[in-house]
Amino acid sequence: MALRLLLAMWRYPFIIRLCLGVLALVQLSPAQSKDRIQVITTTTDLRSLTEVVGGDAVDALNLVPANFDAEEYQPKPQDVLRLKNARLVVRVGLDYDLWFDRLLQASAKADIQRAGPAYVDASYGIAALEVRGVSFGPGDGHAHGSGNPHYWLDPKNAEFITANILAGLARIDPDNAKTYEANREAFLTRLAQKVGEWEERLAPLKSLPIIAYHNSWPYFARRFRLEFAGFLEIKPGVPPTPSHLAGIIQIMRARGVRIVVREPHEPERDVAFVAQKTGASVVVLATTVGGLPGARDYLSLFETNVGALVEAAGAR
Amino acid sequence: MTEALEFLWPSFLVAVCLVGIHVYFGIQVLARNVIFVDLALAQIAALGATVAFMLGHSAQSLATYGYSLAFTFVAALLLAFTRVWAKRVSQEALIGVIYVVAAAASILLIDRAPQGAEHLKQILTGNILTSGVNELAAIIPLYLAVALLHFLLRSRLTQSGSLFWEFLFYSTFGMVVTSSVALAGVLLVFSFLIIPATIGVMFASSLSRQLAIGWIAGTLTSAVGLALSFALDLPTGAAIVCAFGAALALAGMVYCLLRADRLITLGVAVVAVRWLGAALIAGSAIQLAVAPREDQPLFDMLEYAAPSLRSLYFTKVESATFQDSNEYAERHRVSAEQLIELERARRTQGEALDEAEVRRISSFLKSYGEMRKGEQFVMGEVRARARERIRWGASLVLLALALLLVPLSWRGFWSRSAV
Repeated sequence: MALRLLLAMWRYPFIIRLCLGVLALVQLSPAQSKDRIQVITTTTDLRSLTEVVGGDAVDALNLVPANFDAEEYQPKPQDVLRLKNARLVVRVGLDYDLWFDRLLQASAKADIQRAGPAYVDASYGIAALEVRGVSFGPGDGHAHGSGNPHYWLDPKNAEFITANILAGLARIDPDNAKTYEANREAFLTRLAQKVGEWEERLAPLKSLPIIAYHNSWPYFARRFRLEFAGFLEIKPGVPPTPSHLAGIIQIMRARGVRIVVREPHEPERDVAFVAQKTGASVVVLATTVGGLPGARDYLSLFETNVGALVEAAGAR
Repeated sequence: MTEALEFLWPSFLVAVCLVGIHVYFGIQVLARNVIFVDLALAQIAALGATVAFMLGHSAQSLATYGYSLAFTFVAALLLAFTRVWAKRVSQEALIGVIYVVAAAASILLIDRAPQGAEHLKQILTGNILTSGVNELAAIIPLYLAVALLHFLLRSRLTQSGSLFWEFLFYSTFGMVVTSSVALAGVLLVFSFLIIPATIGVMFASSLSRQLAIGWIAGTLTSAVGLALSFALDLPTGAAIVCAFGAALALAGMVYCLLRADRLITLGVAVVAVRWLGAALIAGSAIQLAVAPREDQPLFDMLEYAAPSLRSLYFTKVESATFQDSNEYAERHRVSAEQLIELERARRTQGEALDEAEVRRISSFLKSYGEMRKGEQFVMGEVRARARERIRWGASLVLLALALLLVPLSWRGFWSRSAV
């Protein structure tokens, strides 16, 4: 069909040729990946986990690039087009990707709307930490009351996330449900083994309190029994006040904090400032897949972070 | 106290250095009437840095600084040319265009450069609190060199001249702005540039006196802003900017009082304040009468400052209900915080909480949040009903108060009406 269009178009004037050309391209592009299920995820982490469950049968794409603050992402016109072509959407939820709601509305596609068969909120079933239930929780750097949204940083929560993705894929493609289930089981077995390894490697850090720039780490801390003793950021986008910084420095000196954690996109200078004042070392950790060069997928994200923490603790 | 002071003094030194060079440039900028030129130059420098990120250079590298500087020089050349323009169209128009195009171009480029958005934000926001002695060592030689150059060429650079001298002015200014914005952010640098210079120009005519007044006002205001930021626990940059705003308002008042016609000025000020007060009270009275359940900014503010004012219009039952709900809401908040703290502590201390326990805590927290919202709803409803009840009487009293405040001669008004 497309080829016939291309051959026929030379018989017409330029404008018509141009229109026909565009039409032919539109015809061609979905044909290449028609057989794979198009899945749109908001973040790279969900993309990685979707690929794990879907295997070769899915073609997953994340909207927020790695290392972009997903809470501040501004959707682009192409994103609406991507949603129109999507057969399944997967989001973080817990007020982390609120912009996604308006994008879903803009797509005007019934089955990917909230509660639709092709809509997956990956946070379903997760036990949220630090839920405050009001708009502004005091002093934890989050402007939402639905709980801390960084739940994917507890690898055990991947069980729930992948279960939600599996349910979504099974709804839209019941024929392959068995394959998806097998993919998930294989991944969870590998993950369980890895979690054991990581717990072992991080065990010596149990007695070492850590300071971070943003409170992204409660789930990670709970799983690996780490103590995050304070955060530089008080509220999103508001620089720390002098007395808050003084308090952090006091905690660091009193408790001998040797590690300050920063995410790749967070201000270098504020973190370097407290580290320099107290002789601590700065460790850059990724909260998303692709956040650091080594964090290529969900498993290597933890591998990279665990490695960096262990190295920083060992260097002292 | 000592810990805070320990890192407040480097910030103060940075502020003094920035005031030192920016008051001079501020006076020049005011004379040339190109007020927002620093914003345009800062944005162009940020665009240069964005191009450097895209090419793979890190934020702190020399190459990034080089790109910023090169872009600033191009902007300086453009700005130098705008002098020709200024006869027909205001130079500010082109400055505005440079600013928005540079900002938009940065956004377009950032879309292709991961991490660029955050870096761009950092270039333009800065944080004077965490800038220290290391940064001072980098900027002091630069500022001294620029100051020396301007001192030696003062006859050429302090007035608008040929294309070359204009270019030299804007490019040296661009170099200063590029480094100062990275330290203190655009808002603070704009305040350092314009406000002390305005105060200087307000009170003196010669450049040396304007500089002296600007430096003193700038240094004192920075110290006050830093002290306020510490005492009231506020973000430092924003606190200093607001202190500068207050300083300008104060200087404006002093300026009026120093003038020969100060009695007339004072009279005008009193009339203006009375009109403003009357309008505020009358507006609140109308808002209360028309929409008693909606926000009442004046009453809300007064009640926030003195909660006992509620007893003036609450019945006993309403007071008791309001008090009860307030206590319950606080109790739910404290209970939720205790649970969060418990969960946080058990991450490292004692036996780890199992999944079921964490899940229970999570749902308890959600319930506490809902219950607290419920109590807050009750408080809002009690207050809205009380206001609804008293709206007509209270509005009339307030309107009468507003009429009393209005600076009109009522005796004359009545006698005219009688005739």
